[in-house]
Amino acid sequence: MNDAALKPDTQDIVVDEVFPHTPETIWKTLTTANLMGRWLMMPAGFEPVEGRHFTYQTTPAGAWDGTIHCQVLEVKPNERFAYAWKGGHEGNVGYGSRLDTVVTFILSKVENGTRLRLVHSGFVLPKNDTAFRNMSEGWKKVVQNIGAIVDGKD
Amino acid sequence: MTEAAPINAVMRALADPTRRAVFERVVSSDEITVVELTRGSGVTQGAISQHLKALKQAGLVAERPEGRKVYYRAQPEGLEPLVDWMSHYGVFWRERFANLRTLLKEIDP
Repeated sequence: MNDAALKPDTQDIVVDEVFPHTPETIWKTLTTANLMGRWLMMPAGFEPVEGRHFTYQTTPAGAWDGTIHCQVLEVKPNERFAYAWKGGHEGNVGYGSRLDTVVTFILSKVENGTRLRLVHSGFVLPKNDTAFRNMSEGWKKVVQNIGAIVDGKD
Repeated sequence: MTEAAPINAVMRALADPTRRAVFERVVSSDEITVVELTRGSGVTQGAISQHLKALKQAGLVAERPEGRKVYYRAQPEGLEPLVDWMSHYGVFWRERFANLRTLLKEIDP
């Protein structure tokens, strides 16, 4: 194994949708604690101010108490909102595993509303042979589910 | 790095039941040739080759020519966009976006 194989690679999750509402309305739902609680999760200690620390309480797993520690990184009203999203524990695999990630919301005006793009970045992918072997055992299940996923997507 | 494109390619490649069956057979063997894949499949060798080509383009299989034969094997990396999509946070954010759509309808009808 060379150095490149030991260096963790990261991957992003991207969700990109158009909503028939103005950027200002969407911005409110992203940055107002009560509204966040109604679609995402209720934050504790949240203020849309750069540097602010806040938390989300989620389901515990193993040695992790389920707390997601966040810090506001960027506030550009009606355009861009980013915060750090950290949690999990080294001892967990899959759900509850160590997370050191960033959540970014990007808003842009389009003809019939607002495009909202979420980028949740910094997921570390297993890059070694053992992990790939483990993953390949899950393939069969994954492949069986594809038909359902494709149907559900459209 | 994960845009819509790679996952679409993977989904398109695997949405076809025959192609998915070809992929499953490649996954379950270390390496396999077109001839072996054709045997007992009920599909022509030409059709199998086309399916392999599509799987290769989606990054799901790799080929290794040896003499007159070409051996195909599965590429675990090709499924990464899909595994990611189905992972906890992939599902999490899609569900949350659906919630957000409902909430927006309520507060801004």
